[in-house]
Amino acid sequence: MSAGSGGDGRHVDPELGTLSGEGSGQRVEQREEAFPTPQPDESGPPGGWRPRRPDSRTSTGADDLPTYYDRPAIKEPVWIWSVPVYFVVGSAAGAFAALGAAARVAGGPELEPLVARCRRLAAAGGALGSVLLVIDLGRPERFLNMLRVLRPTSPMSVGSWTLAAFSGAAAGAALFAGSRSPALRRLGDLLGAAAGLLGPPLAAYPAVLLANTAVPVWIETRRTLPALFVASGASTAASVLEAAGTAATERHTLRPFGLAAKAAVLVAIAAVERDAGRVERVGRALREGVPGDLWRAAKGAAVAGLGLSLLPPGGRAKRVVGAALGVAGALALRFAVVRAGHASARDPRATFARQRRR
Amino acid sequence: MARLGFFTDTTVCIGCKACEVACKEWNQLPDDGLLFTGMSYDNTGDLGASTWRHVSFVERPVPLSGQETGLGAFSWLLMSDVCKHCKRAGCLEACPTGAILRTEFDSVYVQPDVCNGCGYCVVACPFGVIDRREDDGRAWKCTLCYDRLRGDLEPACAKACPTDSILFGEIDDLREIARDRVERLHRHGVEEAYLYGEDAASQPGTEGLNAFFLLVDRPEVYNLPPEPEVPTKRAGEAWGAAGLAALGLAAAALAAVVAGRER
Repeated sequence: MSAGSGGDGRHVDPELGTLSGEGSGQRVEQREEAFPTPQPDESGPPGGWRPRRPDSRTSTGADDLPTYYDRPAIKEPVWIWSVPVYFVVGSAAGAFAALGAAARVAGGPELEPLVARCRRLAAAGGALGSVLLVIDLGRPERFLNMLRVLRPTSPMSVGSWTLAAFSGAAAGAALFAGSRSPALRRLGDLLGAAAGLLGPPLAAYPAVLLANTAVPVWIETRRTLPALFVASGASTAASVLEAAGTAATERHTLRPFGLAAKAAVLVAIAAVERDAGRVERVGRALREGVPGDLWRAAKGAAVAGLGLSLLPPGGRAKRVVGAALGVAGALALRFAVVRAGHASARDPRATFARQRRR
Repeated sequence: MARLGFFTDTTVCIGCKACEVACKEWNQLPDDGLLFTGMSYDNTGDLGASTWRHVSFVERPVPLSGQETGLGAFSWLLMSDVCKHCKRAGCLEACPTGAILRTEFDSVYVQPDVCNGCGYCVVACPFGVIDRREDDGRAWKCTLCYDRLRGDLEPACAKACPTDSILFGEIDDLREIARDRVERLHRHGVEEAYLYGEDAASQPGTEGLNAFFLLVDRPEVYNLPPEPEVPTKRAGEAWGAAGLAALGLAAAALAAVVAGRER
């Protein structure tokens, strides 16, 4: 056989054949980096390509549930780091918008600075969140295809449209907030109200997105993960707002909001753990390995953050530490959930045990 | 148009992998790893973005009824795995760009010119079939040889299979053939034979597979989920919980503002 064209992994001799099949449109570059040959002593993650011992069978020792050479039964997520970061940014942006709209509608003129700050943060969060999602795409230049259709069955479709509408409204609200023209200020108020209405759904839908997959630990926590994501978003927003330094009047709003959010996070964490642990094999994802460590770190940060908030209001240092704890804890939480999803997808027994009700 | 699909009878599969080769050749799929896995003769591992037919090899230390081997208690299970083209497809219902659609032949097809590689289909498939190719960026899977079907040909794997383990045709005909085959196997003493995913009644989670199987051991042994389910079947619970959480946030924001005002 001749060497073929381009060494791209197809070995098609142009004298003998043309590339015209369905998959021929696939780009193949740097094949060696894309699919490295594992070395015999490489200890990769379970489920990764790894030479097996010659006496492997389908049934492995520990559990009575058979597997196919311990190979994963479903695929792991292909998302990069920017997706869990988006979960933090997006839910916080939604909380900013909700709080800002509530302050505008139900609060007095002393809350105007808070409204303006919330609008700016919501707009920044919407913009940053959109960028984070686009860079995760396999073909980022086709990001507008997200708005090609609206598919109600897909939380990602509903979420993409929600994010697009939210970002536009939040940007407009922030832009027109300090406008000299009363008509534009009024428009800004309307857009701020729209962003405020879209904010809570924006904070909640990513949990539905995770639950609407085949990943065992995400399916099992479908009823409690939304509350966790929303509460965490509100808690992050409160931490960030408190860090900026607030007037006494604002503190009367921010303090109860922040305390309620932080308490809700702890309750939701316990609820998610209980749901995940109903099937023992599924619950391991949040207990073991890197996801387990991240989950415990998130819990610690949440407890510390609540404790810090319960102390009397302190100086700048306390506020900055509180904000750092809030953001770091939220990041640890989302990364824990996503990494737990990876571990859950890699474990075939999690899928099988869940379906066999064991 | 007719509802077309596969019936894969694993009891006549000989593990020749002609289906894997034919699929790769017809679709011009790139190489995705020449690896020695040590998993019997299975050096493909599983389905993926560039492997749309994958033959599984299971060496069991238990005999298959009706078989006598020179090795005593031993049997060798062989199965050609493929995209199931589910009646309720997780990938299709998850795809936000509308790249994944249902063709006139009732198969599930990914349009490569629309897919932007969001990867949501990858985690939505209860069978772990579809994947995103790293250096290409898009998601790919078995097309049921859509291009061949439109030319009134059968898919490449079905054409190449030397034992007709892979049967291609209209789903109703295939179901009849499959049920007759199971009955016949039972008559010959192969009690373990059963159908996997042949209709909505037997697999309510997917409402039936357009590529269904005849198996002789538990599904897990072949790396198939025992009770697969399209994720959207439970979506209502998640959306409901999300709605409550969203209302909670709105209420908390308003309550905090009102409470602060009264200070």
